[in-house]
Amino acid sequence: MQMIEIIFRFIPSQFLRGVLCCLALMTSLVRANADQTDIEKSEKQFTTQIKPLLTKYCLDCHTGEEAEAGLSLEKYATRSSILKQREAWEKIVQRIQIQSMPPKDAEALPTDKEREVILAWFDDALFGIDCTGEVNPGRVTIRRLNRNEYNNTIRDLVGIDFQPANNFPSDDVGYGFDNIGDVLSLPPLLMEKYLDAAEQISEKAIFANTPDSYPWKKIREKQFQKEGAVTIRKSGAGFHSRGTLAGSINLNQAGKYEFQITAGQTPAGKDPAKMEVKLDGKLLKTIDVKADRSVMQSYKMPRAVALAKGKHVLTISFLNDFYDPKGPPGKRDRNLYVNEVAYRGPLGLLPTDLPASHKNIITTIPGSGRSVQYCAEKILKQFAEQAFRRPVTRQELRPTVELVNATVQSGRTFEEGIQVGIQAILVSPHYLFRIEGIRNFAQASSQGVQSVDQYELASRLSYFLWSSMPDKTLFDLAAQGRLDNPRTLQVQVKRMLKDPKSSAFVTNFAGQWLNLRNLEDLNPDPKKFRGFNSQLKNDMRQETEEFFSYIMKEDRSVIEFINADYTFMNERLAKFYGNKEVKGESFQKVNLDKTKRAGLLTQASILTLTSNPGRTSPVKRGKWIMENILGTPPPPPPPNVPELEESANAKPNATLREQLALHRKIPGCAACHDLMDPLGLGFENFNAIGSWREKEGRKKIDSSGLLPDGQTFNGPIELITILEKQKEGFCRSLTEKMLTYATGRGIEFYDKCAIDEITTNFTAKGYRFSALVTEIVLSDPFLKRKRGSRND
Amino acid sequence: MTNLLKRRTFLKGVGTTMALPLLEIMQPQQNLVSAAATAAAGKPPVRTAFIFFPNGVIGPSWMPETAGTGYQLPKSLKPLESLKSDINVITGLAQINARALGDGAGDHARCASVYLTSVHPTKTSGADIKAGISVDQIAAQQVGHQTRLPSLELGLVRGRNAGQCDSGYSCAYSSNISWRTASTPTAKEIVPKLAFERLFGGGAEQEKQRARHLKDRQSILDLVKNDADQLKKQLGKTDKRKIDEYFSSVREIELRIERSTHEEKIKPPEMKLPPGIPSELQEHIRLMYDLLLLAFQTDTTRIATFMVGNAGSNRTYPMVGVNSGHHELSHHRDDKKKIADIQKIDEYLTSQFGYFLNRLKATSEGESNLLDNSMICYGSAIGDGNRHSHHDLPIILAGKGGGSIKTGSHIKVPTETPLSNLYVSMLDRMGSPVNSFGDSTGRLKVIDS
Repeated sequence: MQMIEIIFRFIPSQFLRGVLCCLALMTSLVRANADQTDIEKSEKQFTTQIKPLLTKYCLDCHTGEEAEAGLSLEKYATRSSILKQREAWEKIVQRIQIQSMPPKDAEALPTDKEREVILAWFDDALFGIDCTGEVNPGRVTIRRLNRNEYNNTIRDLVGIDFQPANNFPSDDVGYGFDNIGDVLSLPPLLMEKYLDAAEQISEKAIFANTPDSYPWKKIREKQFQKEGAVTIRKSGAGFHSRGTLAGSINLNQAGKYEFQITAGQTPAGKDPAKMEVKLDGKLLKTIDVKADRSVMQSYKMPRAVALAKGKHVLTISFLNDFYDPKGPPGKRDRNLYVNEVAYRGPLGLLPTDLPASHKNIITTIPGSGRSVQYCAEKILKQFAEQAFRRPVTRQELRPTVELVNATVQSGRTFEEGIQVGIQAILVSPHYLFRIEGIRNFAQASSQGVQSVDQYELASRLSYFLWSSMPDKTLFDLAAQGRLDNPRTLQVQVKRMLKDPKSSAFVTNFAGQWLNLRNLEDLNPDPKKFRGFNSQLKNDMRQETEEFFSYIMKEDRSVIEFINADYTFMNERLAKFYGNKEVKGESFQKVNLDKTKRAGLLTQASILTLTSNPGRTSPVKRGKWIMENILGTPPPPPPPNVPELEESANAKPNATLREQLALHRKIPGCAACHDLMDPLGLGFENFNAIGSWREKEGRKKIDSSGLLPDGQTFNGPIELITILEKQKEGFCRSLTEKMLTYATGRGIEFYDKCAIDEITTNFTAKGYRFSALVTEIVLSDPFLKRKRGSRND
Repeated sequence: MTNLLKRRTFLKGVGTTMALPLLEIMQPQQNLVSAAATAAAGKPPVRTAFIFFPNGVIGPSWMPETAGTGYQLPKSLKPLESLKSDINVITGLAQINARALGDGAGDHARCASVYLTSVHPTKTSGADIKAGISVDQIAAQQVGHQTRLPSLELGLVRGRNAGQCDSGYSCAYSSNISWRTASTPTAKEIVPKLAFERLFGGGAEQEKQRARHLKDRQSILDLVKNDADQLKKQLGKTDKRKIDEYFSSVREIELRIERSTHEEKIKPPEMKLPPGIPSELQEHIRLMYDLLLLAFQTDTTRIATFMVGNAGSNRTYPMVGVNSGHHELSHHRDDKKKIADIQKIDEYLTSQFGYFLNRLKATSEGESNLLDNSMICYGSAIGDGNRHSHHDLPIILAGKGGGSIKTGSHIKVPTETPLSNLYVSMLDRMGSPVNSFGDSTGRLKVIDS
């Protein structure tokens, strides 16, 4: 949602007078939504005043099946029919506002006065909301953990950082982010991966304590000695005639050990190769090796052997060598081949090097009067409360405890039982989704608004700033019921931003807010940009991440995103920028003299991702600035109209600048492009991968410009100086983006109140980054929820 | 149950007749189970794939001039010359629901989401995503139980990572063509190795483990299904929808486990695959086509979709000398150089498709071949990329659908004939007939043999 007033920042002042007038009109109507009679009034005004204007100026083209742009407006006969298509109308109004509609060459154009009337009515109808009373805090659809959140949660829950979610299908993006409840779906493919991941995790985390869970240890090549016609290679040993192979092992634990030998033969004669296996001189088994050399087989010794600590020797002998030069081809020479000799143990004794996760999870084992059920419940309760991020009742846990019990009853180890129980927890909807509202005992207001539960709040915080589960501090505060205290929240936000886990906020929020993640799929033309490679691309991305991270951790003013006189480089990137001082792989802060570069807009990452593969795109750059810096995303170009810069056939040798100027002559385009194009052209000194250039071909780059409000600039730094003054639009846009990310839902019209408040409060605190985050956390959309469904 | 029995007898014949063309990446292997059925085992099943490419085409070099059998393949379709008698080029079809219809910009998002659903999607960045059930999923829900996987979804590129995809449409619309329900896209697999594991399981060790886990999985799924049931009672409408998705996915896996315990074990074919996404596009496309072939050949699934690119893709094709982005070029404004570049992309993608068809054709199955027993629909729901039009769509229907389709023609249908008419005709042949689908107005009888 965009408030109307913001759009006007660069619109000529002559028109601005009209706007102010319209704003004045708005204030008198701002309470309209709250009051029934006002709604009636607004409805009536629509019928008598607005509808006739729409009919007069719009319906000529926008009617019926052949409507221009496929946009047919005659069906909107009432105020309520318009509110049903709020998003569509927001865009229409935006066009009326920037005077791109009706197009300048239309037969009849509305007068300024008429335009004001229309805009004022729509502003009230679409955005009018009374912020004095209780405001709808919105309703978030339960959010499935996305891939990053899944990985991080497993890391913090189990203590294993092996990123099982990297193989999950990608999470779809809505409102610019991949953590939107409505958009995160759960197809069977993903469910399958959840099951696989749960199995892998439980097996890595817990030692199953079965014979099979002991890893086989190979006896290495060096530890073998031979006797007779045996050759030893790294790949294995070959017995060409009678011979013996002796492998020695050194055990540091006494106990029962198992042995297995992978072997095969080349057959000849009647009998298979006979392989005799002895341990410390005592016969273990004589084996008929029937498997062919090309498909070797593992032969396990019949039983585990009790062995003392220390050195032992396993000997393998080939007993029945056979050679018949007259035999059938390929069956003349019987040989034995041994590929691998391995042992494992001590069986039944826990290995000395158990994973830490095992010790953390298996806090008790059955025995000495403790039943399987008792132990399982104790273990699973502790695990489930972490995994579900809330207290769990015995009753809720009972089926899982039963499952563990049944598994153990069927003859498997207790640890295997716990593995199964943990798998069940890791594929439960309570783990995979962040569910809200099922344990909320807070009183709801008459409007159905209630504070989120303490534990839900802990999760909202931790997934916002860490993309992971709450830590002990947050859980404890939730348990004590203290988390929703504003002071506590302030302290927690500061603490969480300082925590290394906040790097997830950089890669996930900044990566999507600034579209950095899209760099990955970009491939600039390798012929034109020879120095560009994926390493440089990573460095570019990291520069911007380090930059964001610095502003976050050092709690700088967010305005520095636009105008900072510093950035971050490692040696490779410095070389790219022509800086010779920076050495080494790691990134360091570099001061800029602000003659060519300042802030985000001149960083190679942003400049590259707003370019086409073969050349710069002033339109893309201008659009990016309007979206991310000015907070005035232009409406999408009308359908079936080419991207502006694409059509300069009339003057094929014209510069991009000239082509763009030609295009702005197309009616209906100028309204947006009068602003978009100069903004983008101001950065023409940077090529499509962000290198500085004075010329393109033989023509000198002209990066001067005139903005619609009459301001002029020459070059990127002067333009940045103009942009850095547009603080409000930038702060508001950043607030909207961050609130979207924090709540996991799109911004609705009723969020205007919260956004106003957040923006005002944090800008008053010196635009500090932490103030922005704190204000978001303290806002109603973050702390409260509306019961029932979103649309109720 | 009859279906199951049929399938089992069918598979018994397998492995005896095998004339499998081998790619360099595939090791010859004795035990590779091919779905090549002997005549005695009855008629081989019909396999169906829908392949999607983005941004439309350059019409004059894609659409043949004359209709009927004696037509000349235009430049962009030249790579299919040797396959001319195995395909129909169908022109004149339209996907009317991909038009704005009052919703304004967003033709690319609509192009992908309407391609197989024939339903006008709700314009939203997130809340209330709604398209329609896609044609492949209609069939998967009816006949998918006959194979180990009801359907297979492949692609080359992940959904977009950040930002806006297309003019107020959530990226879900641009990066999916297969929709299980009106609100749940069926995610696609883009890593060849993972797609392989999905089809045939991992290595022997992993499979042994999986078998051991199967019973545990059943108990676990049973248990969490109860959780979901309980939860549903406590949640509001939109939340419930999410739990429903969860529930139906759990249910599908349960069914799959049930089926797999009845099935005879297929020994997985051997295929050497890189661990991640191949850096060369050509290798990636071909591996995906190879996997599709294997899936059909082993009868692991009979229904598949493949996105050669996400809607509005701006990928470059340096292997044919195109170093500008596909989408950027598609708005060519009659610039000859750009038109030539797009044509190169069109032709390149056709040649890769031809590679797939040739492999299908070279795979014998009883007395016919795999291509004869397939219906491969290749196309896009944008005709002219420059104008974002959704009529005169580029569509190829390859294969004889088990003898039910007459091939070898350029079929010109009256303009504005819904693409969904073709789908209704295809659904008949997939064993999941419907009276109508999306905006269909009947069947596309001209393809009948």
